[in-house]
Amino acid sequence: MPGIMFGSELMESIIALIMVSTFMVLGSKQLYTSVSAFQFQSLLLACIAGIVAFSTGRIDIYIVAFLTLIIKAILIPYLFVYVIKELKVKREVELFINISPSLLIGGVLVVISYYLVRSISNNSQLSSYALSTSMAMVLIGIFLMITRKKAISQMLGILIMENGLFLGAISLTYGMPLLVEVGIFFDILVGTLIMGVLIFRINRTFETIDTDRLTTLME
Amino acid sequence: MIKYLLLAPMLTGISCLISKKQKQLEFINLLGSTATLLLGLALVVSVFKNGIVVTWNDVVFADAFSTYLVLIVSLVGFATSVYSIGYMGYEMRHGSMDIKRLRLYYCLFHMFMFSMLLVGVTNILGLWIAIELTTLVSAPLIILYSKKSSVEAAWKYLIICTVGITFALFGTILTYYAAVQVFEGSQEAIDWASLVSVADQFDPVLMKIAFIFILIGYGTKAGLAPMHTWLPDAHSEAPTPVSAMLSGVLLNCAMYAIIRFYTLTVPSTGTEFTSSLLVAFGLLSVGIAVPFIILQKDYKRLLAYSSVEHMGIIAVGIGFGGILGVSGALLHMFNHAMTKPLMFFGAGNVILKYGTKEIDMVSGVVKSMPLTGTMLLLGGLAITGVPPFGIFISEFMVLAAGFSHGNIISTVLLLLFIIMIFGGFFSHVSRMALSTPDPNVKGEVSRWTIVAMVLLMVFVLLLGLYIPRQLYDMILRVVEVLR
Repeated sequence: MPGIMFGSELMESIIALIMVSTFMVLGSKQLYTSVSAFQFQSLLLACIAGIVAFSTGRIDIYIVAFLTLIIKAILIPYLFVYVIKELKVKREVELFINISPSLLIGGVLVVISYYLVRSISNNSQLSSYALSTSMAMVLIGIFLMITRKKAISQMLGILIMENGLFLGAISLTYGMPLLVEVGIFFDILVGTLIMGVLIFRINRTFETIDTDRLTTLME
Repeated sequence: MIKYLLLAPMLTGISCLISKKQKQLEFINLLGSTATLLLGLALVVSVFKNGIVVTWNDVVFADAFSTYLVLIVSLVGFATSVYSIGYMGYEMRHGSMDIKRLRLYYCLFHMFMFSMLLVGVTNILGLWIAIELTTLVSAPLIILYSKKSSVEAAWKYLIICTVGITFALFGTILTYYAAVQVFEGSQEAIDWASLVSVADQFDPVLMKIAFIFILIGYGTKAGLAPMHTWLPDAHSEAPTPVSAMLSGVLLNCAMYAIIRFYTLTVPSTGTEFTSSLLVAFGLLSVGIAVPFIILQKDYKRLLAYSSVEHMGIIAVGIGFGGILGVSGALLHMFNHAMTKPLMFFGAGNVILKYGTKEIDMVSGVVKSMPLTGTMLLLGGLAITGVPPFGIFISEFMVLAAGFSHGNIISTVLLLLFIIMIFGGFFSHVSRMALSTPDPNVKGEVSRWTIVAMVLLMVFVLLLGLYIPRQLYDMILRVVEVLR
């Protein structure tokens, strides 16, 4: 069963494209571009879930694919655009580390995660390929959160981490039980909403969403 | 049974949203938390009589350890809901709270209870959802007053804990993967008992990596150093009853998750690996708390750092292992869950009356508010591990486990840290409680707050003098589950 879907070159190229989209987020100077890169990534994830569903013939994975499409590729990007517009955020990404060194560090992170996964995985070629991509996405997500100033970019970092995990989960175990998946989607959606509300609050009380201005609680 | 236990706080939360008057809200709150407490106790009894409960496609699961957590959550939740009536009532009378916010407060409070009860009674994957849910529900509680500092604290809390929990999800997926490999496609049961029964066949390398992710992930939520940075901010900026819940129960929920995964990891990897990690993280947490407690200026932060310390002690206790270490750690969970909210209740009364969080601005609480002052003083003694209070016994058990298993260096270090913290912590508390009283402050906040404090004090004292047979049996049962 696993051989059929992960042996396909289609799967391999989609995973490669997901990696590319991660680097698009990492390398883009405009907020909108990074949001659309994230949207593109979620779309690809939905495709992967769709392929897995097709080759296993399990209905619950079809539902997962559908939920990914609706929540991650449509609702959450829409929420981002809404926040950016409503708060009149400056369109450029502000960062502590410039674009080109960040891309370089991203590359290093990818190499590290491939190395790590190779050392643990006893699984087929492609599944470990997906797993290392997923680990790289988690690491790059964290890196994004550390190096970006705006609260909204940090939110994007978390979502990229979560996308990475989704990829890992679906390629390792062909999806988790449906109820769990629905729960995770619910948590992600509510989490994003609450973060959005908090960003509005931060904007109102601090008159900025640069997180390096949040310094009331220093010891 | 479990269904009703989960429904009770949820329904209470919803009906809080639609009720109009303050009195009505308080009544629903009290009714809801009493129902939750009774149902929680009923679950404890039924699990002890009839054994493990698995229902709902093994999404819902309860064994002895689950009921232990349920007991802690529902007890502290009940005490806090009683305290809230007094605390929030005072805020209402002095205009720093309006009915809209009060409604939101009680609704979220009971939802928070729901999410923490869910942590106890679900399977490996549901656990993740439940813990993430606790973050999502408690973040809005922290910004209830929408002050500048609390918005910042809530953001920090939400971001750091979400990242932590993402790590935990990775660890969970790896563990699930290890289990699926063992089950080989047959319809797998993923409740804790069935997982533990096959845990010795898990891939050890995979489990090691999974456990590291779990420890970092849920450790963030449990406030283990060095991932604890959100904790002092969130716990000091939240409204005081919420701080009591965060410190007293939420940390225990995360600890519960770590211990659950510990039982899945140990059969395949052996105890050496997990023990050294737990002891290292635990000792670091206790050690980091020392300077922050000694030099602290803000008494709510003081209590928050003390929570970091106690979570560290629990981790060390589990790490030392053996019946003594594990049961000591479990007893410590209970003791800390009773004592820390007591301290926060006292601190909350002081905040309301003195209007400041600075230690130096508060003096003579014993004279001006006799009961709160006494409770603060006794609670201060209890939390730092002075006999005859509960924490002394559990700390003693953990230390004894360390010595008897030959971890001399780490045990001596732990003992040193505990003594230093005792000195620092108690000098702060005694300065607040004794010395010359403030002439502007007179009288207690309300009868409700006193009832809540006395209730917890009974447990704190009782567990120091003797451990009830039932609780002792319960802990032994949990230790059995954990081996």
